[in-house]
Amino acid sequence: MKGLIIKDLMCLRKQRITFLYIVAVVLIVSVMFVLSAKFGNIAVSNRYMIAENDLSEIDVKNLSSLALVLFMMLPIAMVGDIGTLFTADGKAGFANVSAVLPISIEKRVLAKFVAFISFLGIGVGADIVISLILSLLTDMLSFVDFVEIIITGASVLFIYCSLFCLYMFIFGYGKESVAGGVSLLTIMLALMVANFEKLKVIYISCFIDSAQVIDVNPINVIMNVIKDKCISALIVAVVVGVLSYVLSVFLAKRKRGIV
Amino acid sequence: MEEIKNVIEIKNVSKDYGDFKLDSISFNVPEGSVCGFIGQNGAGKTTTIKAVLDAINIDEGEIFVFGQNIKGNSAKLREDIGVVFDEMGFHEFMTGKDINIMMKNIYKNWDDNVFFDYLKKFSLPSKKPCGDFSRGMRMKLQIAVALSHKAKLLIMDEPTSGLDPIVRNEMVQIFREYVIEEDHSILLSSHITSDLEKISDEIVFINGGKIVLAGNKDEMLEKHGLLKCKKSELDSISQSLIVYAEEESYGVSALVNDRRACEKLYPGMVIEPASLEDIMFFYVNRK
Repeated sequence: MKGLIIKDLMCLRKQRITFLYIVAVVLIVSVMFVLSAKFGNIAVSNRYMIAENDLSEIDVKNLSSLALVLFMMLPIAMVGDIGTLFTADGKAGFANVSAVLPISIEKRVLAKFVAFISFLGIGVGADIVISLILSLLTDMLSFVDFVEIIITGASVLFIYCSLFCLYMFIFGYGKESVAGGVSLLTIMLALMVANFEKLKVIYISCFIDSAQVIDVNPINVIMNVIKDKCISALIVAVVVGVLSYVLSVFLAKRKRGIV
Repeated sequence: MEEIKNVIEIKNVSKDYGDFKLDSISFNVPEGSVCGFIGQNGAGKTTTIKAVLDAINIDEGEIFVFGQNIKGNSAKLREDIGVVFDEMGFHEFMTGKDINIMMKNIYKNWDDNVFFDYLKKFSLPSKKPCGDFSRGMRMKLQIAVALSHKAKLLIMDEPTSGLDPIVRNEMVQIFREYVIEEDHSILLSSHITSDLEKISDEIVFINGGKIVLAGNKDEMLEKHGLLKCKKSELDSISQSLIVYAEEESYGVSALVNDRRACEKLYPGMVIEPASLEDIMFFYVNRK
């Protein structure tokens, strides 16, 4: 099994320059953003927004934090692109090779899951280093806040990757974009169902009766979810991961030749 | 007398794909032999090989490798099996060194030195991506992998197809060297029967998902003959001896299934030795 994980990590080797480039860009842009939010033009515009647009300091802080969060997610998202693994395997016809190796189907499927967990681990590691640097520069987010955000982001990507693997076993090689799309739709649908009440309130406040719910700011809601739900997200990720693995093994045993 | 051990025993195996069916096939591969598995494209060779490797689920029957049922044991049994397919299957960016790293973390008996010795012997660069290799080089790379983990059984699916005669001869030589060890066996599928004539001890002939012939190659070649005669003469020959007859410009060419009997019964007839290709051709056209 170790050999298969090594092979998958070799597939990622091609992307290492891009990954290092993204980490460097994220670090530089984030530092510039933080410095600007503290002393520069963004700080000025924040003050202007507070004065002119009835926004509270918390709203503005959350808005800035959200921008930072989006930067931070890039390294994890980049290594979370496990579609490349399946594309490379499919193109090479590697399923023929792996099917005749002395490795059981359970271990072959597990190798795929461990490979993407390792990829996420690389992204998370890079993000933690960036967070450490940023938390020293800004009071927008503490290191703990950053870690909570990283856990949430990594959990969402873990869920995406688990579902992606499962859908790949359903659809087969060459259907990476379909599997990716369906995985995203599944996550979005699940999030919408889980947050139906909040979404209803936001929808009413935005489109029907803005006077009815004045407290609800979508950005604040998103930021609170990202920060406060990290443990829940982690638990859901583990459950989805285990379920996806079990179902993937079942499918791989039935269909054969797909892993 | 010592009992012949079989490295592969296939008993009444069926697999139905809807448009193709492997129909209750049975045959054995004796230990220490080279078994040529012949048949035209789409006859069921690859399906049978995949079934032996437990890479597909079979509908019926049983398969034993090294005396053990493959069901539930296939992963363990594959430690001792080297496999070569007609397509390489390794990622094109992988070099010989990468493959060595991967395989030594997969096979318990993987031997780095043997692998690199084979790469050297086959003149394969260990630092060049295998995507840049020619077809012959890719085949040699697969063979190097198959031979580097002390496999006792080599299973090869069309390893010589698409290769020039020089490389094919080199490969046949490699297989000969491999079977010098008495517990080494080969199941070699091919539709290039000339390669199999050079190396095989046993022949299994599959057509349309059914085993048509199975047995010792020399006996098979000895038994069959190619009868050349006029069309009018063919009618006088017992039909039970004729597998199939085909009209040619000068008369009729017929494959007979008992050359010696035919020679005795019809002393005036010209009966030439049949090649595996002749046997395959006439049995396939018999339908």
